[in-house]
Amino acid sequence: MAEKPQTSANFSSLPVILLLGFFSLPLLVMYAYLFIDTISDTEVGSLTPSEFTLRHWSFLWETKTGKPNIWLVTLNTFIFASCITGVILTVSSMAGYVLSRLNVPARGFFLAGVMVLHAFPSVTLIIAIFIVLQWIGLYNSLIGVILVKAAVELPLGIWLMKGFYDTVPWEIEMAGTIDGASRFTVWRRLVLPQIKPAMMALGLFSFLTGWSEFIMPQVLAPGAKVQVLSVYLASLIIDDNNFDFGTFKAVGVFYVVPVLILYVFFQKHLMNIYGGGSKG
Amino acid sequence: MRTSRALGLVMIAPAAVMIFLFFLMPVVLTAIFAMTNMSTATGISGGAWQVTQTAVNRLKAEMPELAGGIAEPRFVIDEEGLAALEALKLKAGFGTELRTSHMGEVFPSRREAERMIKALKDRPSTREVKQISDLFNRSVLNTRFETRDQLMASLKKLGFTLTPAEQETVAATTYTGWVWTTENFRIIRNSPDMAQIFLNTAFYVSVTLLLFNVSYALFLAITTHYMPASTASVFRAIWLLPRITPVVIYVLMWKWLTWDSGFISMFMGQFGYPPKNYLLDSANNAWFFVILINGFIGASMGMLVFSSAIKAIPQTQFHASEVDGASRWQQVRHIILPQLRWPILFVTCYQTLSLLASFNEILLSTRGGPGRATEVWSLAAYHTALNNYTGNLEYGLGAAMALVLVVVGIVLSLIYLRIFRYDTLISKPLIED
Repeated sequence: MAEKPQTSANFSSLPVILLLGFFSLPLLVMYAYLFIDTISDTEVGSLTPSEFTLRHWSFLWETKTGKPNIWLVTLNTFIFASCITGVILTVSSMAGYVLSRLNVPARGFFLAGVMVLHAFPSVTLIIAIFIVLQWIGLYNSLIGVILVKAAVELPLGIWLMKGFYDTVPWEIEMAGTIDGASRFTVWRRLVLPQIKPAMMALGLFSFLTGWSEFIMPQVLAPGAKVQVLSVYLASLIIDDNNFDFGTFKAVGVFYVVPVLILYVFFQKHLMNIYGGGSKG
Repeated sequence: MRTSRALGLVMIAPAAVMIFLFFLMPVVLTAIFAMTNMSTATGISGGAWQVTQTAVNRLKAEMPELAGGIAEPRFVIDEEGLAALEALKLKAGFGTELRTSHMGEVFPSRREAERMIKALKDRPSTREVKQISDLFNRSVLNTRFETRDQLMASLKKLGFTLTPAEQETVAATTYTGWVWTTENFRIIRNSPDMAQIFLNTAFYVSVTLLLFNVSYALFLAITTHYMPASTASVFRAIWLLPRITPVVIYVLMWKWLTWDSGFISMFMGQFGYPPKNYLLDSANNAWFFVILINGFIGASMGMLVFSSAIKAIPQTQFHASEVDGASRWQQVRHIILPQLRWPILFVTCYQTLSLLASFNEILLSTRGGPGRATEVWSLAAYHTALNNYTGNLEYGLGAAMALVLVVVGIVLSLIYLRIFRYDTLISKPLIED
């Protein structure tokens, strides 16, 4: 709309900007203070910080009693998020291709299943999964929670990948098969490179989902050795004896900064997926 | 080439296996667990048969005399007792006479057993009578039996002859493991707590959906539509923040905002209001913030879906309406809204499901409080089965509550599938091999 001559009141944007700016205030205030409070002290009853301090960040170099080391927790979170990303990308790039291109029996049925599961709220299954993991001995292990989390994210991944493959022109594959390549080689060498940007978007999305996940690690792997950042932060907050928003927020910033960096750099890719997977 | 089909099967296998194991199996298992009374007390594997005082008390309601008998000590003249008697090195005559003329006799009380012992030919002293009778004191109370047969054999030895039906009752009341039951569903149907939680859920889902996921998302999409592209993308980025921020931090920020030394308290303090915890001080405030917290996250999805739908409306329609002198409101009412019917339906379906199931935000902010004012169905299932203060986690009841959500989830997502006809999405492979 910007390039249109501003002849009509319909396209004056100032009122809507002001209105929306007003509604956005709570979010802006919360984020601003999230960062300000980690490096400053504020006197009780005041809204403006009075002095600069780094003491809220002490959790980085000293481990609190009864809490796991922050670097171990960060490593766990990284492993958790990366493995999920790896599994989702591998499995859904294969399955998506099958659903988009290959002639397998019950393809329609599988596609319908994926779509239903994509909408289905997987968190309702957590009680059953908890009992199953206890039975098979994967409770309180990273492997268990990685498999579960990757599996419940799979329908969305497959669905998106199928959509991405649908946009690749058939001519590429026809040319490949005419030249004598097998369907597998065609997929591996010709089609996969075509959807690299899409793979990156799905990879980023999966990584962020894994990084942010709270309830599954909380229920399925709460132990100190396998704790991830979300569970760590939640356990700090729930501990009534040491109520200190400064520290909570410092841990929070430590946890959220990678997310924000990825978000700022790859906003365009992510926007497609956060639209609820309606693309495809 | 015949490998296309084989290749397809191989490539889809990992996805099929994972989805089967961690998606379909749990659905079935939720239904199975819902039919049991599994809890921390019963454990999730098998159990044993244990005659505890509580078991006896339970038995009292149905079989009072048997329960009384089990609770009292019984006196049985058996080999075990005789061996112990020999070890005591009292007069040998006691043992011999008990063995020959009283072997296998059962006395329902200490008095009767001691009367018999006193009448022995060797005339034991009062102290000896007591000593001897102690040796034959048999009771199943506080004994653990690994199998049902062991328990029945013991009871038989103590002189309780039970009909098969009675045996069944005794076994059921003393069993410590989980059993099949439909009790969970009866509790869900009849308990007033459950009715309250159901109402809470209906209120929460409909209000959040209506106010934020649809109305406010529409508002965001339409207002950003009327903005210069760069400003619009700034606002879209701001409103995506709640979705992109990990939920633990996002809720932490709200907690800080509403805490009694938090932003709102301090801000109101400038006008002389005393500080208070705005999140938890009353049920109304708690609901207000719970809906806000979830609504801010939910608005972003609708915003993106509606924005791209608005972008798809041909510009000529706006231009034509300009020429006709339409106001902005008329454009929204007659051009935008009618063309957003399907996206709105899509968002409503999708978000109903995610609101019904997700309890992260409520768990982290109010934990269902104050009291149980903001307890919704999914959170209640979590509290019942996985985390509560009493420490007895009722997996069975929790699974039954989750099953309700699973069924609703399946029904709604099937409807969702009907609405967005998936068959149009499958194209026939162009390379036939």
